[in-house]
Amino acid sequence: MSAIAVVVGVLAAGGTYLILQRGVVRIALGFVLLGHAVNVVLLASGGLQERGVPIVGASSDPADPLPQAFVLTAIVIAFGMTAFLLALAFRAGELFGLDDTEGAIPPDERVDRDLDEAEPDGNVRGGSETQVPGSEEDP
Amino acid sequence: MSRFLPLAAATPLLLAAAVAVVPAVVVRRVVAAAAIATCGGIGVAAVGSTGDGGVLATQLGGFPPPFAIAMAADTFAGLMLVVFALVTGLCLAFAGLRGHDGSPRAHAGALALLGAAAGATLTADLFNLFVWIEVLLLSSYVLITIGGTARRVRAGTIYVATNLLGSSVFLAGVALVYATAGSVNLGVLRGAAAGSGGVAIGATLVVVALAVKSALVPVHAWLPRSYPDAPTWVTALFSGTLTKVGIVALFRVVTVVFDGAAGVREAILIVAGVTMVVGVLGAVGQTSMRAILSFHMVSQVGYLVMALGIGTIAGLGAGVFFLVQYIAVKTALFLVAGAVESQEGSDDLEELGGLVHKRPALAAVFLISAFALAGVPPLSGFVAKVALVRAAFDGAAYGIGATAVAVSFLTLLSMVKIWNAAFWGSMPEEPIPGEPRAGLLVPAGVLAAVPIVLGLFAESLWVVADRAARSLADVVVYASAVAP
Amino acid sequence: MPVADGRIVPSLLVLSLFVAAACVPFAARRVGRELGYWLAGLFVLAALALVPAGARALDRDPVTSSIDWVPSLGFSVGLRLDALSVLFSALVLVLGAVIFAYTARYLSPSSRHGRLYAQLTFFAASMLGLVVAGDAVVLLVFWELTSVASFLLIGGSGGPEASRAARRALLVTSGGGLALLAAVVLLVVVVGSADLATIVAHADRVRASPAFPAIAILLLLAVATKSALFPFHFWLPGAMVAPTPVSAYLHSATMVKAGIYLLLRTVPLFEGVHAWDVALVLVGLTTAVFGASTAIRQYDLKALLAYSTVSQLGLLAALAGVGTQKAVLATSAHVVAHALYKATLFMVVGIVEREAGSRDIRELSGLRRVMPLAAVATGLAGLSMAGIPPLAGFVSKEEAFAAFIDIPGGGWLPLVAGVMAVGASALTFAYGWRIFEGAFGGPVVQRLYEPDRSFLAPALLTSAAGLVLGLAIGVLDPLARAVTVEAVGARDYHLALWHGLTPALGMSATTIVLGAALVLARHRLEGRLGRRRPRVDGASIFEAAYARAVRAGAWIGRSAATNAPGPYLGAVLAATLGAAMLAGWWWGDDLGLGPRVGGPARDWPVALLLAPAVAVVVAARDRIAAVAALGLVGFALALLYALIGAPDLAITQVLVETLTVALVVLVFRRLPRRFSVVRPARAVVAGAIAAGVGVLAAVGTDALTGRRGPSEVARYYLRAAQPEAGGRNVVNTILVDFRALDTMGEIAVLALAGLGAIGLVTAVRSRRAP
Repeated sequence: MSAIAVVVGVLAAGGTYLILQRGVVRIALGFVLLGHAVNVVLLASGGLQERGVPIVGASSDPADPLPQAFVLTAIVIAFGMTAFLLALAFRAGELFGLDDTEGAIPPDERVDRDLDEAEPDGNVRGGSETQVPGSEEDP
Repeated sequence: MSRFLPLAAATPLLLAAAVAVVPAVVVRRVVAAAAIATCGGIGVAAVGSTGDGGVLATQLGGFPPPFAIAMAADTFAGLMLVVFALVTGLCLAFAGLRGHDGSPRAHAGALALLGAAAGATLTADLFNLFVWIEVLLLSSYVLITIGGTARRVRAGTIYVATNLLGSSVFLAGVALVYATAGSVNLGVLRGAAAGSGGVAIGATLVVVALAVKSALVPVHAWLPRSYPDAPTWVTALFSGTLTKVGIVALFRVVTVVFDGAAGVREAILIVAGVTMVVGVLGAVGQTSMRAILSFHMVSQVGYLVMALGIGTIAGLGAGVFFLVQYIAVKTALFLVAGAVESQEGSDDLEELGGLVHKRPALAAVFLISAFALAGVPPLSGFVAKVALVRAAFDGAAYGIGATAVAVSFLTLLSMVKIWNAAFWGSMPEEPIPGEPRAGLLVPAGVLAAVPIVLGLFAESLWVVADRAARSLADVVVYASAVAP
Repeated sequence: MPVADGRIVPSLLVLSLFVAAACVPFAARRVGRELGYWLAGLFVLAALALVPAGARALDRDPVTSSIDWVPSLGFSVGLRLDALSVLFSALVLVLGAVIFAYTARYLSPSSRHGRLYAQLTFFAASMLGLVVAGDAVVLLVFWELTSVASFLLIGGSGGPEASRAARRALLVTSGGGLALLAAVVLLVVVVGSADLATIVAHADRVRASPAFPAIAILLLLAVATKSALFPFHFWLPGAMVAPTPVSAYLHSATMVKAGIYLLLRTVPLFEGVHAWDVALVLVGLTTAVFGASTAIRQYDLKALLAYSTVSQLGLLAALAGVGTQKAVLATSAHVVAHALYKATLFMVVGIVEREAGSRDIRELSGLRRVMPLAAVATGLAGLSMAGIPPLAGFVSKEEAFAAFIDIPGGGWLPLVAGVMAVGASALTFAYGWRIFEGAFGGPVVQRLYEPDRSFLAPALLTSAAGLVLGLAIGVLDPLARAVTVEAVGARDYHLALWHGLTPALGMSATTIVLGAALVLARHRLEGRLGRRRPRVDGASIFEAAYARAVRAGAWIGRSAATNAPGPYLGAVLAATLGAAMLAGWWWGDDLGLGPRVGGPARDWPVALLLAPAVAVVVAARDRIAAVAALGLVGFALALLYALIGAPDLAITQVLVETLTVALVVLVFRRLPRRFSVVRPARAVVAGAIAAGVGVLAAVGTDALTGRRGPSEVARYYLRAAQPEAGGRNVVNTILVDFRALDTMGEIAVLALAGLGAIGLVTAVRSRRAP
């Protein structure tokens, strides 16, 4: 087994373990590791025999440039995803005092169900005329 | 014509960026309408110009195939663009009527969703498909967590995490396909699974990832967990576009890469049957309208995948017919649930009753849509169901055909459960203030007309569905258009 | 010219009734309950329009029409007015007219009743469509529509019991409808056409098909559910919560007759199939005996009539199942006779309930003195039901006896059938007496008056028709014989009041004697029967099954109830592992790849650096330690990227890793310093799954990568980057030229992530959940 395969295995195992934990932050860390694992597989998919820098004229055995382009795209996308997950963790921290979304509130509670449809004082909703458009998230 | 295909994806996406910074809601609505019209118009044009069974294809940037990213539209893809555009338009209209599109994130998210759905439908490149699916998911993340309430943060976490994992699996699959086939172009990959076990294994991972996006059993639970907690119009939008993109991609990848391998089709049929049964039973057990409807999405996805598993042109045609009419029906049902929730303060069956007297128009829209979902004739769902069952029996797939029939019984049961509890029954004791708003009903009413029209005049859709099925099944034409 | 040859008649008839149904709510606003008379007039007109088609049907020249519906699927709206259709259409229309005339007086004058009239008209239209359908799919469509219409009619009357009864009726009959759907599709697959005449003409091919047993069972299910045969009978008594005109029309004359119609329609398919005869005779006559013996215990007149309907439908189903010339003839006659007397009885019960305020025979008494006309109508109908000559019920029942003892194939079946039929009929005699005696016999206890003549007229009309038809049974004979010709191709047997001294006459006499004996012994029997409660009650079994289905659903739904992401992710991981292993097992022998090329040894230090860093990220409870280790992982990877010729990647990786760490640290400001403790159980499960994923990922990478030379597309990019895209850095040219679309998507992802994250971070704090 090659070192690359071992790297993929370690990253995948670590990431998998973490995403199965409580807490959004650990889940986010897990996805960072899983993303690394996938990126390495992507790079390996081009074949790692040729390892020259894929710049015209720079090397006699240039590496496959396509997986590198894939990984560049994937890294940025994964960063976007991670950023969003962390924002969720941040919001969970605000709401629950910890980033743990499990069991913080029983699953059947309906208190904040569609809050954006409720009037600000939480009274019974009577049609949507009373609502201020966009009030739900503008600070 | 084919040169304009990328615009179906790019226009909504770019205009999404524009509406995100426009402060005036009126301007945002107009821009959104323009974007939706562009996407739908390209879809109509694509359907119109592929009548001869041809495929429109374009190589982006003008680079030679198969090295450029190719976008291709056959009748199937064109039809999907039209449907996605219509659903997006109606859901945004509903949001507007309820005053829920006040945030720029609503329009931006919906348009990005539409653009990504169009991109994913048109692309003929596996990695590009991955990118579109990521755009799709992020726009859905934005929409599902609108408001940032505790409920939505919790639902959103499950939704985001599950789909993120699905994306990782997808990308790993793409990597393995490239590692063995040396290409991610669907034209090059036609039938590649038959020739190379490596491609087959990689494509299997891709299929698993798409199964997650489509909410097939056993990777379905995230959907009924998270959809009911999103804003209603968002749930309706997701139901009509987001999960269906997974199905569209699944149809494409399975037909092209596996090219109808028997073992794959059998495996799909088993998954389809289990998905139908688990989904409908889950729906029967729920106690709120949106939860029932969300579980039904799982069940109905089973019907769609069943068409894929049957794999004949009749089966695929029935599946496409089913898909189109079902999107209308399901969106209408979610909008009814939304209207009920907004007018009664809840969509919980325990807290509802007597709506048939209080809101007769709403009741009529619900009844028609619910019966269409259960396949009661002469509505479109009936035609779809009969066509599917017939295709199954014709293909000697008796087990799945019988399952489909039995599941439609349970579907009817769950719809009657809603009807009896919410529309008959006694009214809740305390009177609820506020007048019903007829405007809320308009989008749902439009959609409720769809199953009647598509039932009585089923031939018009069937002709297109049949053409779409042939375009799906004729992977040679598709592949040679994508990578000549 | 379709108009001239009457081809348009069937579609016009059906369509006009549907249009009427759509217009009814508006008309009801103007005329209120009087609308019933208008609709009765419409139905009479429709029945008259049927006459020419009827004449043609007698000449074996049925009017047919066909309009394309979904030609690609072979669906067309084929309609056909042969003798059988004419017979049932006439029933639907004539009884419809009678019932609407009755409804106009039954309903209160105060409200508009638009919904009830509309639903009833809709039902009649569906029923008419069902019996004139010439195409199996069209028949199925209307079959389901009758179920839907009756659902609305039953449940619309309000109250939880009504909506439960409606649910039972809909689910049972629609379940049967789905069986019919499957049967129709199988027939279409076998015969290649949905045209009923074609299907029947290819009866041989159907019987020879391996699907035939399935088709037979499915049809039997459809019939049994629709016609309320045991054990699916229970929905019918429950449906009696509907207003009485609805019961009179749907649940005696039309809805339940659909099953009988279907049996008559499919007689040729089962020609010579003895098992079919056995099945229907046993199911039908068991239902007949069961229904009659239940009816005789009822106190509620409507419930009594409901069980009577169950019983009579059983008899009819058995007859139609036998399907000989005599049997078809008897079925045709009995369908008419039953519709007349049962409609009469329902209408009278409605009148009694309106006038006396009750329909419980324990509270009613002596009505014959105060309502003599109602008593006459009841008496005539009761005599017909009991099979007393010379009423129509006598003729049809005697023909039925004759058919039962003549069942071909011989053996025990004729004997059993004869005995059961006589037994059921004797019980029928007895409960007929019970109805009359219960309401009209005894001393007068209430000061009541005969209702308005207009309220009574419809019931008098149908009861008199039963008498006239019995005396002049010859009127029905040509049509009934035309039905037999269509079904079995023979017409040498006739309906007659007097067939001579036949065994059937003896059976009729036995029935009357036995029935009279039951009447005489009624007080003794009542004590015994009344105590015995039925052990199995279909409705409660159904409700229990319904509750169980809901519970099972709730159990399945639990998978989507938890807030923890773990189970959802675990399912995805398990599915991925399973599918990957399955795929590896399936295709693993045939990878179609070149020899494996091992990586150079200088990669190993990266692995050795990375593994402990990952371990720290996984195991750390201190957040800062975890993040620091994560950064280390990122830098190790950057090193790897540099080693394999991807310096751009290495730089990007460092950049992104730095940003990620910064973001994580920002988020930490809102959160406790340490991660929560991992319970051992979770650690074990997660560890096992993680190990599986890790091993599989490593093996997959090892097996599937690095086993081919440079790809064609890689060589193209390296070759074309400079001439085509004008760049030396090939990766850059791919990103901005060759695959610019990916980059656009990537930017969209970043923008959307920013949009979403800003929304979450700036969400109003006051929305914090309590």
